[in-house]
Amino acid sequence: MEILYNSMYYVGAAALILIGLYVILVKSNLIKVIIGIHLLDTGVNVLLVSVGYIKGGKAPIFTGTSLGPAQFVDPIPQALVLTAIVIGVGVIALALSIAIKLHEHYGTLDLRRIKELKW
Amino acid sequence: MVASLLIAIPFLGAFAVPLFGLVSKRLSHYVPALALLANLIISIVLVPQVMSEPIIVSIGGWAPPLCINLVVGPLGLLLAILISLVGLLVAVYGVNYIQEEPREKYHMLLLCLLAGATGMVLTGDIFNLFVFFEILSLSSYALTAYNKDRGGTEAAIKYLIQGSIGSAFILIAIALLYGLFGTLNMADIASMVGGADSTFLFISLALLIAGFGIEAAIFPLNAWLPDAHSSAPSSVSATLSGIAIETGAYAVARVTYTVFNADGIMTLIAVMGVITLLIGEMSAFRQKEDIKRLLAYSSIGQMGLILFAFGISTQSGVFAALFQLVSHTLAKSLLFLAVGYMIYRVGSKKLAAFSGLGRRMPVSSFVFTMAAFSLIGLPPFAGFMSKFSVVRAALELKDPMFLWFVVLMLIATVIEAGYFFRIIQNMFFKQGNNIEGVKEAPLSCLVPIGILAVLIVVIGIYPQLVSGMLKAAAQGLVERAAYIQYVLGVP
Repeated sequence: MEILYNSMYYVGAAALILIGLYVILVKSNLIKVIIGIHLLDTGVNVLLVSVGYIKGGKAPIFTGTSLGPAQFVDPIPQALVLTAIVIGVGVIALALSIAIKLHEHYGTLDLRRIKELKW
Repeated sequence: MVASLLIAIPFLGAFAVPLFGLVSKRLSHYVPALALLANLIISIVLVPQVMSEPIIVSIGGWAPPLCINLVVGPLGLLLAILISLVGLLVAVYGVNYIQEEPREKYHMLLLCLLAGATGMVLTGDIFNLFVFFEILSLSSYALTAYNKDRGGTEAAIKYLIQGSIGSAFILIAIALLYGLFGTLNMADIASMVGGADSTFLFISLALLIAGFGIEAAIFPLNAWLPDAHSSAPSSVSATLSGIAIETGAYAVARVTYTVFNADGIMTLIAVMGVITLLIGEMSAFRQKEDIKRLLAYSSIGQMGLILFAFGISTQSGVFAALFQLVSHTLAKSLLFLAVGYMIYRVGSKKLAAFSGLGRRMPVSSFVFTMAAFSLIGLPPFAGFMSKFSVVRAALELKDPMFLWFVVLMLIATVIEAGYFFRIIQNMFFKQGNNIEGVKEAPLSCLVPIGILAVLIVVIGIYPQLVSGMLKAAAQGLVERAAYIQYVLGVP
């Protein structure tokens, strides 16, 4: 339990990643799959932020001389997450617009019934 | 600083397309060709300088481990030349070929794709590698669905779902690496990788190979490729097959060789390559209906061959892999571009509809035959030299296992010859029906495929044209100590 508590953020990130993967692999509704992709992205972002987190650390903004660099959390993962969020928004937007087109063509969002292209 | 223009120009072009579109729609369609021509000229001008010493571009004025940097070594520049050359020809082809509106968006996305690919091969920062990879894959998802037809949208959603799982894996691996080393610079990670916990290293390497392997279509991660490459417009298929999957292979090689120094998994990579090769070629042979799907499966097979050659892990093996990569890019983009107008003129993707085309579209059919022969590996084309160097590099190892791999590879070549000869026989020696009105492809198609065909023959007859650069590129990939020293500036 102690380990679980100390690495709470990692556990949360791993749980989100696994839930996302599960949803993508198991669900057959396209919208649910897209939600799964988003959960996966979010889990990865949480993982990135928790890599740079220091217990009790402050936001990395220099406002005066009272705080040294050791009290700040690592800003680089946060910059990475910002980029990753933007990329994720792009992917989700594209996926949803393709979903609209798929619904126009097939009249359904059930991935089990969208299978005209085969080996 | 000139080297960063290689990434900046395509992006600027992409944003300039709609602006030019405000003035004149027609003008905006030529922007990609101009931007890529500029790129091609810049990258060729840089060759002599890079051959003597890699150019390190540090952005923001910080020293390399702190800043985001570009590493323009022989390997990166070689691939940048290839990307801008094939991109230029595809852009010229696309001016007339793409008729579906909104055409500006096609040109923008094409430029974004090529900028992402160029960025991937030039960057020296692993997170930047991820960002450029995402730019590349996001624009290829969109381009796959460009025609907005049933097949295209279905293929695009398959590609998107699998691709986004792959990019999530890459990002997890980057998070692990950052947690281990506190840096994102590839050379800096490479210099510290020896003393790290091997479990975490193994997990992050596996995640990176899986993530980039989806783009490189390594079996069993190749399920999206035949759908996406066969349903996209042909000029997009040429870009995806000729550029996008190659950059995936580049990323796998860069990560395994330079960053991780993973000698132990090279045999595994060779095995995966041989399996991919056999599966790809056999699926292509089985394909009797759709010609683009056949070419897509053939791309999987060729990627397997490239991967196998990377797995040999000697300098001559890497040389052979890069040579095979160059010859595959030239030949496969030619095949897709030529097939694009054949399908357009005949009105069907069916193999049977191509009977007798040799008389109606003589030039396209002839260069199609040349590219097919090059892929099979017949002399005097480039494919012969590259396949020959793969075989030679594998036999130099004097390892009985690799001897068997070569046997399997040659069997795959025979299968490849089987299906390409079937198409060619169909084109030249069969009577077709309903093709009386079929005309030759227009000049905007014949010029690009003609240039590619000339290059295939010239490289085949005179391989010294590229082998100097390929040798330097292979050396740059294998000798990681030199790479680290160049970037970090310390021995």
